[in-house]
Amino acid sequence: MNPSATENVYLPKTAVLDRIVCEIPEVKTFYWHFEDRAEQQAFQHFRPGQFAEVSLFGVGEFPTSLPPSPTEPETFFTVRQVGSCTSALHHLKPGEKFAVRGPYGNGFPMEQYYGKNLVFVAGGIGLIPLRSCIVYAIKHRSKYQQIQIFHGAKTPKELMYVPNLQEWSESPGIECYLTVDRAQDGWSGNVGVVGSLFKKPGVQVPVDNTVAFVCGPPIMFRFVIKDLMAMGFEEQNIVSTLERYMKCGVGKCGHCCIGMAYVCVDGPVFTYQQIKRLGEDI
Amino acid sequence: MRARILNRDDVVKIVDLLRRQGYEVIAPFRGRAQDTCFDTVTDQNREQIELHLANPYYPPKRFVFPPIEHLLKVHRQNGDVQIEPTYQEAKRAIFGIRSCDVAGIYHLDRFYLGRDHRDIYYEKRRANLFLVNFVCTDPDRDISDDCFCVCADTGPAAHDHFDLQLMDLGDEFMAVAGTAAGEALFGDAIFRKGSEADVAKRRAILNDVRKRFKQTTSWFSATVRYISQGKVLEKTWEEVGNRCLECGGCTYVCPACTCFTVSDRQVGPNEIERVRVWDSCALDGFTRMAGGFNPRRAVHDRRNRRFFRKLAHYFIQRELSMACVGCGRCVQVCHGDIGMPSVVEMIRRATTELEKNESVSH
Repeated sequence: MNPSATENVYLPKTAVLDRIVCEIPEVKTFYWHFEDRAEQQAFQHFRPGQFAEVSLFGVGEFPTSLPPSPTEPETFFTVRQVGSCTSALHHLKPGEKFAVRGPYGNGFPMEQYYGKNLVFVAGGIGLIPLRSCIVYAIKHRSKYQQIQIFHGAKTPKELMYVPNLQEWSESPGIECYLTVDRAQDGWSGNVGVVGSLFKKPGVQVPVDNTVAFVCGPPIMFRFVIKDLMAMGFEEQNIVSTLERYMKCGVGKCGHCCIGMAYVCVDGPVFTYQQIKRLGEDI
Repeated sequence: MRARILNRDDVVKIVDLLRRQGYEVIAPFRGRAQDTCFDTVTDQNREQIELHLANPYYPPKRFVFPPIEHLLKVHRQNGDVQIEPTYQEAKRAIFGIRSCDVAGIYHLDRFYLGRDHRDIYYEKRRANLFLVNFVCTDPDRDISDDCFCVCADTGPAAHDHFDLQLMDLGDEFMAVAGTAAGEALFGDAIFRKGSEADVAKRRAILNDVRKRFKQTTSWFSATVRYISQGKVLEKTWEEVGNRCLECGGCTYVCPACTCFTVSDRQVGPNEIERVRVWDSCALDGFTRMAGGFNPRRAVHDRRNRRFFRKLAHYFIQRELSMACVGCGRCVQVCHGDIGMPSVVEMIRRATTELEKNESVSH
């Protein structure tokens, strides 16, 4: 390759939608692949926590997390229908084409966490970006100590990735705790916010040598942080991934710039210590 | 010194030389009233090019970073999709670009071509751009009340980053080459060698003109320090925010602003065009996400953002310059009087006051 040739970072590559799976109301998972095989292979090297820009022709582009782990064979997005672009994606039919560019962002430094306990705390669709780390960690199970997953949703119907939750809770050496705000449909599990799981009898959250991954709506984030800090977690051992309005994904358009960071290139993964310094609402 | 002397009447011949080399030449013109603008030189308007006039309201930034720029075209046919980038690679020369705006383009270079990702659209336009810088020497015609390049250290004579620099020495002009392409022009018969006396004259004129600026007290250094250390009080930002009418004007006339948004539009039955359009951090929707969550709710959060991004030490280090070149356009455009010099002053005053009181109470 000509070293002086600059790659066009704004040029998305054509992708084909394979199939759609309904997760919870308004949230669907879209399995897709790049039309070009080489493109697909290059893309597969993404890191957990990175994101991609999805193009819906004539509508626009939006950034979205990559919920699959790079260790999985299929690529997919899980997207809530919220604006014009995500609606356009929701209306796409299998076989139809759209475009993707990426992966972008720093991602979670999963190798740095080798030898540590991992605690995942996900509220609602906050499980989407954490799914990648969880699958990655389970694939490399021997590299990590304890693995705990805490997932909360408004109602039992809104629990994310239910088949995965089932699988994880049955995996040896993985503790998976679920909770809902409002019980329905014969729910026999815990009722309450995610943080209420930490104090349940039988639950022992490791604090020393632990990384806590926290993802969810702003209010849940604030309360979980408070709970974790009360347990003795240090700010630099709590990690999250930020969501911002973004247009380019490569640090040029300026929309996601907060404090001294461009969320798209310096993030989206930050420790709580860094998030506090950025000084903006989560 | 790679400098030459040329006759007053021959200055505009540089435009001819560049046009003969295939450049579209952009030059400053006077509009119908007091306004001035950059426009393409044609055989018809060549005579109207004016060298000494107030710097146009819109900076020449748009010739490397247009307000609306085509990024790509998408063709759809029978379920198949073709995505084609659209590049603009015409040769362009800006004749008469002021030193502040040269610094602005250099800042854009550092921003769009620096860090991990290079912006290919900017790069292609920039590679074909030739800059003929014009030194501001006439206090009445060149320098406005709001110019403060002397405070931003970008003028009145640019130190670098131009291809050719022209300066009015009175009876004749001095030309300085900044690049090999600029020096190549010296082969033309209009240029002759200068003398030591010419260099001394240049120095004397510059020394004098520096003293003729009306705005000379926009002291950035203290403000840069306060902003970088997070010492600016919330109250001060609120004062700045209260005066912001959220029109976005400051960002649209700024030679160093870089933000854009991206938009798709249907241009044919099976054809879609993707464009990028200048965007402004002053506007409410700048950070609002689908679903309505906006991390920067208050106006002063957004103003804080603009000045932090422009003046924080971290970014200055990264781009090797402040994102302010001292052109004074934001001063002219702002209805709330929160152009850069006012804000620099507001922050410096409020924070110095605070520091003084702190040192007393400790």
